[in-house]
Amino acid sequence: AETYDFLFKFLVIGSAGTGKSCLLHQFIENKFKQDSNHTIGVEFGSRVVNVGGKTVKLQIWDTAGQERFRSVTRSYYRGAAGALLVYDITSRETYNSLAAWLTDARTLASPNIVVILCGNKKDLDPEREVTFLEASRFAQENELMFLETSALTGENVEEAFLKCARTILNKIDSGELDPERMGSGIQYGDISLRQLRQPRSAQAVAPQPCGC
Amino acid sequence: MERAMEQLNRLTRSLRRARTVELPEDNETAVYTLMPMVMADQHRSVSELLSNSKFDVNYAFGRVKRSLLHIAANCGSVECLVLLLKKGANPNYQDISGCTPLHLAARNGQKKCMSKLLEYSADVNICNNEGLTAIHWLAVNGRTELLHDLVQHVTDVDVEDAMGQTALHVACQNGHKTTVQCLLDSGADINRPNVSGATPLYFACSHGQRDTAQILLLRGAKYLPDKNGVTPLDLCVQGGYGQTCEVLIQYHPRLFQTIVQMTQNEDLRENMLRQVLQHLSQQSESQYLKILTGLAEVATTNGHKLLSLSSNYDAQMKSLLRIVRIFCHVFRIGPSSPSNGIDMGYNGNKTPRSQVFKPLELLWHSLDEWLVLIATELMKNKEDSTDITSILLKQKGQDQEAPSLSAFEPPGPGSYESLPPGPGDSKPEVLAGEQEASADCQDVISVTANRLSAVIQAFYMCCSCQMPPGMTSPRFIEFVCKHDEVLKCFVNRNPKIIFDHFHFLLECPELMSRFMHIIKAQPFKDRCEWFYEHLHSGQPDSDMVHRPVSENDILLVHRDSIFRSSCEIVSKANCAKLKQGIAVRFHGEEGMGQGVVREWFDILSNEIVNPDYALFTQSADGTTFQPNSNSYVNPDHLNYFRFAGQILGLALNHRQLVNIYFTRSFYKHILGIPVNYQDVASIDPEYAKNLQWILDNDISDLGLELTFSVETDVFGAMEEVPLKPGGGSILVTQNNKAEYVQLVTELRMTRAIQPQINAFLQGFHMFIPPSLIQLFDEYELELLLSGMPEIDVNDWIKNTEYTSGYEREDPVIQWFWEVVEDITQEERVLLLQFVTGSSRVPHGGFANIMGGSGLQNFTIAAVPYTPNLLPTSSTCINMLKLPEYPSKEILKDRLLVALHCGSYGYTMA
Repeated sequence: AETYDFLFKFLVIGSAGTGKSCLLHQFIENKFKQDSNHTIGVEFGSRVVNVGGKTVKLQIWDTAGQERFRSVTRSYYRGAAGALLVYDITSRETYNSLAAWLTDARTLASPNIVVILCGNKKDLDPEREVTFLEASRFAQENELMFLETSALTGENVEEAFLKCARTILNKIDSGELDPERMGSGIQYGDISLRQLRQPRSAQAVAPQPCGC
Repeated sequence: MERAMEQLNRLTRSLRRARTVELPEDNETAVYTLMPMVMADQHRSVSELLSNSKFDVNYAFGRVKRSLLHIAANCGSVECLVLLLKKGANPNYQDISGCTPLHLAARNGQKKCMSKLLEYSADVNICNNEGLTAIHWLAVNGRTELLHDLVQHVTDVDVEDAMGQTALHVACQNGHKTTVQCLLDSGADINRPNVSGATPLYFACSHGQRDTAQILLLRGAKYLPDKNGVTPLDLCVQGGYGQTCEVLIQYHPRLFQTIVQMTQNEDLRENMLRQVLQHLSQQSESQYLKILTGLAEVATTNGHKLLSLSSNYDAQMKSLLRIVRIFCHVFRIGPSSPSNGIDMGYNGNKTPRSQVFKPLELLWHSLDEWLVLIATELMKNKEDSTDITSILLKQKGQDQEAPSLSAFEPPGPGSYESLPPGPGDSKPEVLAGEQEASADCQDVISVTANRLSAVIQAFYMCCSCQMPPGMTSPRFIEFVCKHDEVLKCFVNRNPKIIFDHFHFLLECPELMSRFMHIIKAQPFKDRCEWFYEHLHSGQPDSDMVHRPVSENDILLVHRDSIFRSSCEIVSKANCAKLKQGIAVRFHGEEGMGQGVVREWFDILSNEIVNPDYALFTQSADGTTFQPNSNSYVNPDHLNYFRFAGQILGLALNHRQLVNIYFTRSFYKHILGIPVNYQDVASIDPEYAKNLQWILDNDISDLGLELTFSVETDVFGAMEEVPLKPGGGSILVTQNNKAEYVQLVTELRMTRAIQPQINAFLQGFHMFIPPSLIQLFDEYELELLLSGMPEIDVNDWIKNTEYTSGYEREDPVIQWFWEVVEDITQEERVLLLQFVTGSSRVPHGGFANIMGGSGLQNFTIAAVPYTPNLLPTSSTCINMLKLPEYPSKEILKDRLLVALHCGSYGYTMA
């Protein structure tokens, strides 16, 4: 059986054709998905990663960007702990719709959702329509992390997911996020339990008088 | 002299004690003389014999090479034991398996022997060949008192056997509480792993030793998995040990969530998991709510995974349904608290119980959104002038090429299952939008239909578990209504879904009625296949046609009282066994096998309608039967109706045809279809005509003064029976006449014979579930039960009349009969049905065909030909109106069109 300290629910959102599925594929399979077609509804993948000494299982929901699937994909948002918000640096249109996607994520998933903005298709720099600077300004204004990625070359893909996971872990450590709260998108795994020498709660349980 | 005296003395003693008084010289013989005495602790005798002998007290004998000291220790012969020790027996002597006398004393709990052995400095630390020591033996059997004495002498209480097991391990495995405590008090290592990494807690859990686990946890035992990662909780769940799980959770509350998550593990047996969760949920209301909420969350995640196209359909579907089954089971059982009333969560009661369904709302919401999306896609296609049926047809074709979705989705490497590119994926995106949209739509439906259907099944299960048995949840009905079109599309794509994810349709007639037309549109042959497939599903070797029947299960009947004796024996027989196989033997006859079974059904079907029993009456035309409303003259009539139902059910179950034809209305009763006024014709054709007349004419000004009541002759006295409450004072008007006709029909056709119908159905349903029989209509049911009637064409020709210009010799008539010879038996039945309204020829042949008023021969009347004109008929006078077709080919073509489209249902010609 897989063992991990935490399980995080992640979303990959953004307009159609920005390369969301390719990012997920690159992250999980370590290769570029060649003949990719439109995602129907939602796809699902998972990977266990090591972040800051903890084992974290990322449960990633990759959503369709097409408008016709919007209401279906929205129904998967609830309880996500993190999200990759993806646009295509060669398409201003995909950049322009970021605000709408972000609103969706914060209202439907959780106001505390940790979002990292990914400007994908970094490898197509000559066709760039969105500058690094304006995107990073948008990220700052909206309290997002930001990276430019390439699902083709794999540049920054791993980093995007890990950065998001690390931020969530930090928030757990600082108490900003409570994994025990329902709908937090975080679950404890088996390891966290095994490492407890004396369970915290053992003191809480009134020791019963020895019956011998 | 003295020698002689001594000899005599010895002889006397020996005779008095009935044994030798002197040991034989040789050790082997001597030891077998002593052994029985040691076993019985006859220490004086042993002492006496040993005193004058040179016997070696450490002599090892037998297969396992034990000494007499072993025997004494084993049997608890403490006096002999001391005697032997005094005589110099070695207290640490090991037999062939390495066991010392102390081991044996410990194993058998010989307390005194043990302490004596210790006194004579027996070594408590000796291991046998398997590494077991005396304390292991005491621990296995839970001999705490002895252990207490012994353990003080032990150098290492954690001494391991060959498997690395300590005394604590074995005590825990066997659940000896006080032994465990004693060992722990003596400093045993509470977390000691054996060679495979199993700790004492692990051992306690592997055998569900609740109290022992509790002691260990109380004393701070760690929760550790073995070297294969198997945890104590895994063991408890595998064994279904709910109480032990409860203890684990008490000390490790997070395990609670782990158990709930375990429902996703397909390797665990569902019934064990269910047992554990059921136990936990019954501990308290709050635990109950917590478990169900947890299960609902897990179900939702799994449902979402199922609705995500990259997951493996088959595995994910099974996982979701398993979790939901467990959830519903636990919900229904409820906590053991007395307030166990059924809580209709979906009917608006905001009780805590109904709150457990809340996490699932996310999944139902997604399901809803998906179905709306698909409805939109279907609609878009309609607008794109693409006929929906052609899409469906195309899809069916496509499905055949790439049949199952699961085959379409092999699990990808790693945990990511990618969807391989389907056909047409390589199409460049610039392709004409419309074409792509339609392809897309097919795509969306074909890849999601199975997944959505499984989630719908889960939804149904969750809705149903909040309802009393047999009732369908209003919320689910509303759901089906809302997504009517999409669900119909799913059923159309794959009608067999009603036996799978849409099984709820078979359970709820009210829902099934919406889909019936799709099901009934499937070929009769297919439905027969499904019927038998599901009738026999769940039975062992269901594909075996003639299974051997054991001697005890043979139905032994008397030929001269076949009806009564069969009734008696069938009512006593085991229903499940009869379903599997049937064997009949007539009293005093040798014959057995299918031939006898066939004969039995034949005779019985004649007997059932035998007028002597007054169970069934003939219809007006003499070809069919239906229950006799006066059958109560036979005091046992309801028993016999039940038996008749059993025989018909059995016959259908074993594909045996019976030789009875029932009225159309009775077949409808079997199917649970409401009767209509036309069915009255079979028992009272004249009255049926009158009902028809009322319907066809304006009755406003006729002054009929009919009310919603009828006069009935009850035992010679006329009595007014209201058709509905207060019917006697409600006038029949032009507006309510349809209701009147329906009610009066029900009175004549149903209410009059309701007890008989009920008894019959009770018997019938013992072998044929109502959910399966409803796949057929009344005509098909007749075909299934009684088979295709034989039609003798020559007899038909001989007894046919011609009118309105036709003659026997006319070419059209010649062609007609040639066509009748050509067509299949089924089509001839349809033709007969088309013209006479009955699919059968009465006994005695076509000469006896009845019309609305007495004998009425089959008649063919001429009609002037106009192109495309179809033949018509007047069933009440058995007349076929056959246009004067210009050729045989046209005649055949038109006739077949008429038969296949219009043989059922009436229009007034």
